Amino acid sequence: MTAAQWTYLTYAILALGAAGLFFALPRAGRTNRAAARLFAAISAGGVLVVLAVALGCGSGKGSSPAFYVLTMVALAAAVRVITHRKPVYSALYFILVVIATAGLAIMAGAQFLGVALVIVYAGAILVTYVFVIMLAQQSPEPGEAYATTDYDDNAREPGTAVLAGFVLVAALTGPVVGGRWPVVTSHPSPVSNSAAVGWELLTRYAVAVEAAGVLLMIAMIGALAIARKHVPTDLLPPRSPELPPGEVGRHVKPF
Amino acid sequence: MPNAPQLMFIGAILFALGVTGFVTRRNLIIMFLCTEVMFQGILLNLVGMGLLRGNLQGQVLGLFVLVVAAVEAGLGLAIVVLLYRRRGTLDAEKWKLMRG
Repeated sequence: MTAAQWTYLTYAILALGAAGLFFALPRAGRTNRAAARLFAAISAGGVLVVLAVALGCGSGKGSSPAFYVLTMVALAAAVRVITHRKPVYSALYFILVVIATAGLAIMAGAQFLGVALVIVYAGAILVTYVFVIMLAQQSPEPGEAYATTDYDDNAREPGTAVLAGFVLVAALTGPVVGGRWPVVTSHPSPVSNSAAVGWELLTRYAVAVEAAGVLLMIAMIGALAIARKHVPTDLLPPRSPELPPGEVGRHVKPF
Repeated sequence: MPNAPQLMFIGAILFALGVTGFVTRRNLIIMFLCTEVMFQGILLNLVGMGLLRGNLQGQVLGLFVLVVAAVEAGLGLAIVVLLYRRRGTLDAEKWKLMRG
């Protein structure tokens, strides 16, 4: 097959995946699971074919099975992050995305980046997310099961959003699939990846590392200043009756 | 070993999934999680392009992207906590007064 044919085949596969995503997004409190699974399975198989056949010949030898497993785990978990109706599960699926991405990075020779991904994302950022989810969720009454909220059960314009996502992914993957890529022969480095990255960071990019440290400190102070802001509870609008959309927020005095 | 176009392909799909989730979900926390999914796609892209160039610049830039992701998560979640305390809900639709 020519590159143009592969490109159109990729578009078709991604369109099927977009249709599956549309059925998987929560609408009116329910999802069409059977259709979503069917489209997702076809699309996943197509993605594997494109990865193995259209893109896989550049390195001279086929990729290992672990690469395809990690790819499927990353993509499936990312779909679940954006379609799951319970935020805690979304956060847990995001950990899967991070671990699979780290695995792919390590396979591609970026060992230091992969380990840093697991430590920073799965270790630090995700803990913050789960913390905020616990903080901001109303616990169910004793004896009641956890009920999903109205805004988690109803996605906002899923059709248009999926269409926009499809156009974006088509624009991004078209040049990748249709393009000609040089065959890169990796020559083994005399030092380990961590040593090489550390050397690079602390010599050529030393100023940038310092700037990143300053940025982190500014962000920490900023987050403290934002989260410590005093919100008097009598300013809160009553939980019920629900205000009409045009009136929401009109009765809250600014700080 | 994966090659550069394969990593860029996966990264593009992850990024588009993140964008789709960001525009369509209404829970503020999940919207921020979707930005993190986008960051994963960007990181894979950087690693892939680093393979093409045959040096470590992609990985080093990826580490700085990691720093920016941490900063974004910290500030974003602080804002989410503040918004939650003012409205008592995580619904992004409750903050659409500026939407016209």
